[in-house]
Amino acid sequence: MDGILLLVEDSPDDAELTLRALRRNGFSNAVRVLRDGEEAVDYFRSPGESCDLVLLDIRLPKADGFEVLATIRDRSTADYIPVVILSTSAERRDILRAYAAGANGYVQKPLDYDRFQDLVGRIGRFWLGSNLLPSRRRIGGT
Amino acid sequence: MPDHHPGSRPEESRRSWSDVLQGMQDEIAGLDPRYRVVAAALRELDAFSYSASHDLRAPLRGIDGFSLALLEEYGESLDETARGYIDRIRAATRRMAGLIDDLLALSRISRTRPVVEPVSLTGICVNLAAALRQREPDRDLRFEVAEAMEVVGDRGLLTIAIQNLLENAAKYTRHSEPAIIEIDLIPSEDGPGFQVLRVRDNGAGFDMRYQDQLFAPFRRLHSDAEFPGTGIGLATVQRVATVHGGRVWGIGAPGAGAEFFLALPAGGRDGVRESE
Repeated sequence: MDGILLLVEDSPDDAELTLRALRRNGFSNAVRVLRDGEEAVDYFRSPGESCDLVLLDIRLPKADGFEVLATIRDRSTADYIPVVILSTSAERRDILRAYAAGANGYVQKPLDYDRFQDLVGRIGRFWLGSNLLPSRRRIGGT
Repeated sequence: MPDHHPGSRPEESRRSWSDVLQGMQDEIAGLDPRYRVVAAALRELDAFSYSASHDLRAPLRGIDGFSLALLEEYGESLDETARGYIDRIRAATRRMAGLIDDLLALSRISRTRPVVEPVSLTGICVNLAAALRQREPDRDLRFEVAEAMEVVGDRGLLTIAIQNLLENAAKYTRHSEPAIIEIDLIPSEDGPGFQVLRVRDNGAGFDMRYQDQLFAPFRRLHSDAEFPGTGIGLATVQRVATVHGGRVWGIGAPGAGAEFFLALPAGGRDGVRESE
């Protein structure tokens, strides 16, 4: 499974544990880690930057996950990049808001790391391995 | 005494119960300016517990994750005692997570605007009882659920309340053989607009001297070793009762079982009707 993964996560611990979960599930993909919402917004506003899957936290400094999502969906070349929310919140209002803003999936980060590893593996295998996108698999680019 | 339950007034029967509650709250606020201050403080407290619950969970994920990483990557170079310590770190993490989840569930209830409709409590009780029996198949756990128990309320919130009442009864009857838990609906002393759900068990009971502590969050009458728990269950029931304009109380005696009562707006002819 190839493809570039973008992880938007402000907690260094969570980022490290997510990267480890990807490694242990056999993913050797390039992963770009962005530490706050503003970095993510800038990333998607720069022409030429793109990726194949976004794992997005909601509670982020500077700009929250909803703003990042809106930026992604606003950009015509990025509007179908799969975005899966990884959040601590299982609040209905957060879930509704995420889907309204164009999220493709919403997962509550489980506390149990066994379950988290399993979940990250399944998300990666589905979105990078099984899911088909409308045209070029890699979008954006120069 | 004037008959003033909302269902008896046709113009009010067209309004949702939450609108009626809102109206009452506005009326109280008009009578006493202190009410606004209290309401604002309550909202702030709920926002705080929402945020605290989420922010408290994050470090716990780190503790569990790195403990497991240690075990998976360096487990072979650790002896059995060291691995046992890691297991205990993870178990303590899970207990803490349980507390936070309960706290979060509690704060969520207060922030819920109830969607009021006629609800069959019998159906809810039967399903919950089956799930509880399945969870502990080795116990002789008997539920006696009355037929046709109808009230009006928010189905989701009522399910949460009854689940807590039944789990509570199942827990405190674990030394009773057989454990018998009876659930029925009885008339209310609060007037015709209310009915009372009664959950009666033959379990450990409690001393009536401590009845005030029963519904306070995190207050427990038993040690964790005796009956494990977080002390949030009955506090949750009380929140659900309050949201519905009802109340909850309990009577019991040590070793002689407990009875819990949840007063709710009645269904049927005398009850509040939701027309939408």
